[in-house]
Amino acid sequence: MNAHFTLLQTSLPRIAQPMVIVVGAAYFACVIAISVWASRRTKTTSDFFVAGKGIGLVAMTAAASVSGFAFIGGPGLIYAVGLGALAIVLPASVTNVMGAWVLAKRMRLLGEARGLLTVPDAIGARYRSPKAQGLAGLAILVGVIGYVATNALAMGVVINAIFGVGLGWGIWIGMGITLAYSVAGGILAGIYNDVFQGALMAVASILVFVYILVGGGGLGAMSHTILIHDPQFLGPWGKMTPLAALSLYFVFSMGSLGQPQGIHRYYMLRDPRLLKWYPLLKTFALILVLLLFFGVGIAVKAFVAGGRLAPPATPDQATPTLLLNVAPLILAALVFSGVAAATMSGVNAFINIGAAAVTHDFPIALGRKVSHGLAWARGATAVIALAGALIAQFSGTMVAFLGIFGWGLFGSTLVPALAIGLNWEGATPAGAIASMGTGLVVTLALETASFFKVFKFPAGVTASAVALVLSILVFFIVSQITRSSAAGAIDPDVRLIMEM
Amino acid sequence: MPPTPPNAVKRAALAAIVASIVAILIGYAAAFVPGGAPPWAPWLLAIGIPASIGGIVVLGASRGSSGAHALTIPIVFVTATLAIGFSLALALPANESATSTLWLGLPARAAILVYGIGILPAVVLPVAYALTFDAHTLSAEDVDRVKRMAADRE
Repeated sequence: MNAHFTLLQTSLPRIAQPMVIVVGAAYFACVIAISVWASRRTKTTSDFFVAGKGIGLVAMTAAASVSGFAFIGGPGLIYAVGLGALAIVLPASVTNVMGAWVLAKRMRLLGEARGLLTVPDAIGARYRSPKAQGLAGLAILVGVIGYVATNALAMGVVINAIFGVGLGWGIWIGMGITLAYSVAGGILAGIYNDVFQGALMAVASILVFVYILVGGGGLGAMSHTILIHDPQFLGPWGKMTPLAALSLYFVFSMGSLGQPQGIHRYYMLRDPRLLKWYPLLKTFALILVLLLFFGVGIAVKAFVAGGRLAPPATPDQATPTLLLNVAPLILAALVFSGVAAATMSGVNAFINIGAAAVTHDFPIALGRKVSHGLAWARGATAVIALAGALIAQFSGTMVAFLGIFGWGLFGSTLVPALAIGLNWEGATPAGAIASMGTGLVVTLALETASFFKVFKFPAGVTASAVALVLSILVFFIVSQITRSSAAGAIDPDVRLIMEM
Repeated sequence: MPPTPPNAVKRAALAAIVASIVAILIGYAAAFVPGGAPPWAPWLLAIGIPASIGGIVVLGASRGSSGAHALTIPIVFVTATLAIGFSLALALPANESATSTLWLGLPARAAILVYGIGILPAVVLPVAYALTFDAHTLSAEDVDRVKRMAADRE
């Protein structure tokens, strides 16, 4: 899986032309305007971390749907390995409902009952354990630093492609804009920027898909062309082994229940009963946006196989190569600007939850109370953003390593304690702590060993998958061993919500 | 207060999660044997993944002692759809070629994966969730109870 997430770190072709620069500048102007508006509404730590628990269904649906990977790295991966790469996005058909049933209702109600701000807050409340809350915060911070650094580099790559300013300036321009709106407007700025860019990207995704279908003579004609030249590409696993593709599906389905940047947003919904329509809208919106992921990957392969397009130099160039040759330039410009904005929104979300871990969860774990919470939150936001940008610019290949394990780390540390623990009264604090520790240690140890080539996984096995499986089993085993301590370990209000 | 014993539905869901995760672990462990993963290893994931998803959805959808009866049909349908879809993709012969019959533009095994696993659950599950939300997932009374409890706590 490692290579999948480093795709965006290669260079993209320069597309800096007047039209692209104008669209990109207009896009960023809108982002800044939205951020200024959001900053005026951010007055408390609750506003900063959970948007004052006041967002509506549409904003919740549009928020943090898809990262830049879905538009550049994802289609490139399909072009490189065939349909097996779809295993990353196929879980979208079940993950939104799964998250709604398993987490959304209970987390939102816990937020109502306890005024919770962070994902580790829910773990602390469930197990009455500041230690468990602190460990969850630590796991989140480790993953966040990796994600921020990787996305900072991705921002630099895309901004350089649009404006031709060079990678270093691209990183700092992107991070500067993101930092400004993250510090001023907190998560609220990120959410309403997501609404703006998510809506535009959904429209762009549909238009690109239509252009591809028309240009390629329909999906059947493109499949026929591919089948003549490379039939394995259109097998269900593509050029991957069945075990590898199924493993991706497992990590991206079950692991989705532990992604703090997504589940954190359950706290923000104005009315808990709006959750009724959330999975339907979210799944529909995701499928629209993922049309580009699927369509571009297939189309580039068909066009190259049919001799209509020169092979892209690297898989990452599949999307730009196709857009610049098939779609109108304004549509290509819109997609590129949207990728930059999506990456910035992702950075905003990760910085925000990292700052929450530092200024909220760690003090609780240490028995301290933070005064002037909003000021500390803004300070921590700035420090994490700067650290991410510095790592992106100066760490060389280390940034690739940092970007590898975020999803797997979040999944293995949070899925058992949170997703299972909020629905099973037999889970114990010891089980939660042991599973989080297992997820953290196994993920870091295996990814480090793999990165430095001390150890090589057999095909189809990944550190993320192994860590997720082991942490779930450790959670059940330790909870079973310590089940006598489960008695009285749940507060009455938490128990009531768990039984709802 | 001792923890409430899980009802039969929750017990079954927990058992399904544990059994499926053990199956997935065995599938991964088998990949370490010399010569690579044996042919049965992906089958453990093909069955284990839908079982783990079905198990955790049942666990989350259950309310107190009432289980998740209203949702039995959609949850079983989706779990079976995933299991059958993965199994067919593994079992059907890998004979894609230029003469393959296309189903909605894709060869049979790819169509099963894209439309069966990627689209069908997306239609069934969210609709089932919305239709049963008021009666089964979260009523206005539930929200009022939590708000009253929060007020009492303050």
